[in-house]
Amino acid sequence: MPSKLEHWIRSAIKMITQVNREKATGILEFETHELENIFALLVLGGFAGLPSPPSPIAVELLPYMEKELLMLLSRTDLAQDPIGVLASMLEVG
Amino acid sequence: MNKTVFFLGKGGVGKTTLSSAFALSLASMGKKVLIASLDPAHNLGDALDIQLTGQAKNAEPNLDALEVDLAYWVDKYLDDSRRQLKSNYSYNVTLNLDSFFNILKYAPGTEEYAVLWAIEDINTRLGPLYDVVVFDTPPTALSLRFLSLPTISGLWVKELSKLRETILSKRQTITRLNPESPVAESCVDKDDDKVYGQLKGIGARLRGLEHLFACESFLSVIVNPDQLSIDEALRIQDELTKLGIPLSAVCINKQGVSDMVWEQNPSLARYPQFTYDFSRGGISTREDLLSIDTGPLADLFLKNTQNPIIERKKK
Repeated sequence: MPSKLEHWIRSAIKMITQVNREKATGILEFETHELENIFALLVLGGFAGLPSPPSPIAVELLPYMEKELLMLLSRTDLAQDPIGVLASMLEVG
Repeated sequence: MNKTVFFLGKGGVGKTTLSSAFALSLASMGKKVLIASLDPAHNLGDALDIQLTGQAKNAEPNLDALEVDLAYWVDKYLDDSRRQLKSNYSYNVTLNLDSFFNILKYAPGTEEYAVLWAIEDINTRLGPLYDVVVFDTPPTALSLRFLSLPTISGLWVKELSKLRETILSKRQTITRLNPESPVAESCVDKDDDKVYGQLKGIGARLRGLEHLFACESFLSVIVNPDQLSIDEALRIQDELTKLGIPLSAVCINKQGVSDMVWEQNPSLARYPQFTYDFSRGGISTREDLLSIDTGPLADLFLKNTQNPIIERKKK
């Protein structure tokens, strides 16, 4: 049966590994979210007056884009402070 | 096989008259023909003196006719998307989007797309039942827009597909490095991603229509002996060249309508020319349509059918 110390060391290593993984993928995740946001803006931007593909294409894609649509709406909350979001991402300041 | 025919030209040059006469001529030769009007302001039924709907109706031995109901296609398309959306989205989001669908019916581009869907349906569902499908088109502006849509929309779909591929590849990398990341819950595989699958599906349909217009169709532009219709025919020729759609023939309709001295434009003169005299008594019956000699044009078309454009391009 593993001792308490061994269990603690295992948990600590697991935690350190996970922290490193989060750090390694954090920027990539941020970039992916930005790309997803751009994709949603490109497809659905026509509804807000942005240049977009012919609206029938957007309508054909719309039924499969609930996640992107919700993300697009939530991103409007961050739209006021994009630099702040990036700074916190990069742990600046 | 090159079996689809489009008659293009300025409003009032005689597209419906010549396309009906051409279809009747082919039918009298024993070919099984379908003639379909794509013009939102249909008058094919008037020309053939028969009540037409969106369903093919027999007009003459070997000849069926229909008038595409664009409103039906717009409604069908929006209803399909709305139904799909309701089954995929959570209730409150669906509720917010419902109003969008009510105004989309009038969004720019919807009518042109409806024409495309109708052509696709006729080509795939009804096409195999006939030897020849003749399309009587709307005036130039709408016709050029639906002919160019597969190319233009295809570019959008291509770029969106590329962006989607990048997103999926980044999601895959994140999932591999950090399986506990929230991104891992998203779709990471191209085969499983419904948006990518839908883009691929739209792309394939658009490529099919692009191929139909560029490689499997016989396009004839109709002019009258007047400068306005010639100028418009030149614009059609320019646009078709940009889209890589070859023009097959030029029909000069209403020859002799006035005594004005008239000369064909050299740019249009290089295509096979077919001349039709102005009928002083008007064209009011089916016999009048049959009296228009579209035989030489039909012969050129049938010659083309045996030597389709795609094969000529390869040579």
